[in-house]
Amino acid sequence: MSVLHLSIRNESDISEAVRQSRAMAGRLGFSTTSAYYIATAASELAANLWIHAGGGMITLQRHGARGMELMTVDNGPGIADIDKALEEGFSTANGLGCGLPGVKRLMDELDIASYPGVRTEIKARKWL
Amino acid sequence: MSAKTNIAELSALLEQSRAAIIDEWKRTVMDLVGHKYPGVLSMDELHRHADLKLAAFSAYFASCREGLVTVTKESPLGKMVYDLSSDHDTRGIKPVDTALYLVALKKAISHQLVCAFPDSQEQFVEFLELLHGLMDQLTILSFDAYATTREKVIAQQSQSLMELSTPVIVLWNNVLLLPLVGVIDTIRARQFTERMLEAITRHEGIVTIIDVTGVPVFDTGVARHIMKAVDAAQLLGSRVVMTGISPEGAQTLTKLGISFANVISRVSLRAGVAEALKLVGRRIESIAGAN
Repeated sequence: MSVLHLSIRNESDISEAVRQSRAMAGRLGFSTTSAYYIATAASELAANLWIHAGGGMITLQRHGARGMELMTVDNGPGIADIDKALEEGFSTANGLGCGLPGVKRLMDELDIASYPGVRTEIKARKWL
Repeated sequence: MSAKTNIAELSALLEQSRAAIIDEWKRTVMDLVGHKYPGVLSMDELHRHADLKLAAFSAYFASCREGLVTVTKESPLGKMVYDLSSDHDTRGIKPVDTALYLVALKKAISHQLVCAFPDSQEQFVEFLELLHGLMDQLTILSFDAYATTREKVIAQQSQSLMELSTPVIVLWNNVLLLPLVGVIDTIRARQFTERMLEAITRHEGIVTIIDVTGVPVFDTGVARHIMKAVDAAQLLGSRVVMTGISPEGAQTLTKLGISFANVISRVSLRAGVAEALKLVGRRIESIAGAN
């Protein structure tokens, strides 16, 4: 199975996203360390959905022949200033402030598209 | 013809054909599911159930003024379906078979309606609509009842899991061990922090070992919870030794720029125990003369 959609509504949904993304990364041939990175990135993204967006969807999928993509979609308040959200140590909700920049460092590519109040879409990819 | 007249007539008809409906329903249920639960479902009990149900139907129809009213789980009929579902659940009868119960009842009533109304098609259709409207509500209620019972079971299980999952072990005088196993969410983090602080106070813990070997992924959420716990422990005067971070976990934390300053970290629980004992001026030695 190379596509998995998970609805993130509760805190317990985050650990499901972690479990599933780690397992999928393993199946796609990522090393244990890379799979751990991907799982941690999934955890950050899913936690963002839960904490900031009031819930959303995360999609785990194979990307091309040699990659894996984590995609989140939500209809929450959105990210007003994407550059600022990617700054080290910036946090609005009292986190450790390494959510999105952390994801950026753990993964190879990060795309963020946010229309505040309408829809926010984040794609994070990692190559084998 | 008004809905009220139809409802009254349907109710009267059910009353008339009560015996026949009960008889047919009992036979269908026994044929379909009876053999799966030997000794659990008896003809007598089914008869009693059916009798009560049809009585509740009559009472329900009597309460309808303008068309069908919504059946809630508080109303007598709703409560009956609810109780039936949870009763079945506790007796090991599967939800699909409980659904068959209701479906068979609908079938038996429809069948009696057909027998009683060979000519008047229009009224027959209206009767059927009323009957379906009611039975559909009951089916949904029974589904809801089943889900509620299940949710209760799940809540109880996670509660007992929670109570099992965060023990605080007194390893030696003033040395405590907290093995963390499984997912650390907000509730569990609060719980293990409370237990740890309580134990530090009660046993005058000088060193507390937090072992994270059993934590599947050490992400920022887990790190934040543990950092808070460590800060609180240190306020109570206990040093914290952390053990069991996997190589992948260590690399991830470095990537994320998270460092546990103030925390002594050891690769394994064994090394952590040695360090903790050293901090309280003890060490493990082989007994003289033994190998």
